Amino acid sequence: MTDFSPLDIKHVCRREASLTAPPDNWGCLMARAQDGDRYAYRALLTAITPYIRALARRALRDAADIDEVVQDVLLTLHEIRHTFDPNRPFAPWFATIARRRIVDRVRFNANHTAQKMASTAALLTETPSGTGEPHQEEQERLCEAINALPARQRRAIELLKLRGLTLREVSQQTGMSIGSLKAATHRALKTLRRLLSE
Amino acid sequence: MTNIDSLITSLADTAVPVRRLRPPLARASSWFIFAALVILSLAVLKGLHHDLALRLARREFIVELVASLVTSFGATLAAFYVSLPDRSPFWALLPVPGLVLWAFAMGFGCYADWIRLGPSGFILGTSFECLAFIVLSTVPLSAALLYLLRHAVAVRPISTTILATLSVAALAGAGQSLTHHSDTTLMILVWHAGTTGLLLAIARLLGPQFLRKVVSRPAPAATSLRTALK
Repeated sequence: MTDFSPLDIKHVCRREASLTAPPDNWGCLMARAQDGDRYAYRALLTAITPYIRALARRALRDAADIDEVVQDVLLTLHEIRHTFDPNRPFAPWFATIARRRIVDRVRFNANHTAQKMASTAALLTETPSGTGEPHQEEQERLCEAINALPARQRRAIELLKLRGLTLREVSQQTGMSIGSLKAATHRALKTLRRLLSE
Repeated sequence: MTNIDSLITSLADTAVPVRRLRPPLARASSWFIFAALVILSLAVLKGLHHDLALRLARREFIVELVASLVTSFGATLAAFYVSLPDRSPFWALLPVPGLVLWAFAMGFGCYADWIRLGPSGFILGTSFECLAFIVLSTVPLSAALLYLLRHAVAVRPISTTILATLSVAALAGAGQSLTHHSDTTLMILVWHAGTTGLLLAIARLLGPQFLRKVVSRPAPAATSLRTALK
């Protein structure tokens, strides 16, 4: 335990924690939360959430991803709140946790997307190994799913995955930027995966 | 109410007082004393070298021993600092001077052997005893140290694991040098440094997973938190 007593904390902190506490008060709120003050803890978590969201938005686009990473940061902060030292500033402690969780999320997404793209591409280019009905049914479902995609995503999938063109070639042909093509393919694969697993 | 609101409510409603960590220097020192006592006890149980008093009179031996202890303490302190989110990651460089001194001392020992014994000072035998001592003392102590530093999983799992393993391996190396029966420094260099390198490689590969297991944390975003909250 540090020699930072709850009395000192109360002296430094405001008695009534506001739900929109300013950043300079966060350290005090966390110190009180460490002592079991649930109101201060709630005020702190509520106050820092927009900041986490803003940090996450810089690295992630998908709203669901941003929501998940915000929750991940809040849970991590909760798990290791005992590591905060009230004698030191709150901002570096909080920023490192938030940054690390966001970076981990981005890495996870990158790996996950690569895996999904590889497996879906394998599914799309698979050659029939038998002539049974189930395979034909699968192909029909796949065609239906591709037809159900929005026009840009369908075009990206058809050109990149079915015709096997490169990103540069498709970009020249469609006028879409390489970034938009990647995003469209990612979204298309995500939708296809969901539709095919239903 | 959104998922985040309900998460905040549930975290706040279940928050209990927590014990703050003691300053890293105090924790690292306590751990170092404990680990040093364990290693010393193991060395005594194994049997100290019969002419240890003579060895302790040799300057090269003392430099080697001190260098490994400095490396170990530097790595311990660095591990305790790096594991905290608000401390600089550059603390990880703290054991480097000790490591350099250790490498220099070993190199000088090899040179002294060459002068003292000639080509016979460069015989590289096998020392599985040495390997077993370092591995068997490093693995459980590293696991115990990583348990103490488990909060690092969320911030710097890799550097913390490597530093923790280095701290114990260097200490085990110092303990082993008190019991070692082979005299050529080259052999000690290869077996100690080789074993330490092997342990560090294993720590790099498995350490973060171990930390995740200890705190029951899934791999990043492997489990949907939204689903878990529903």
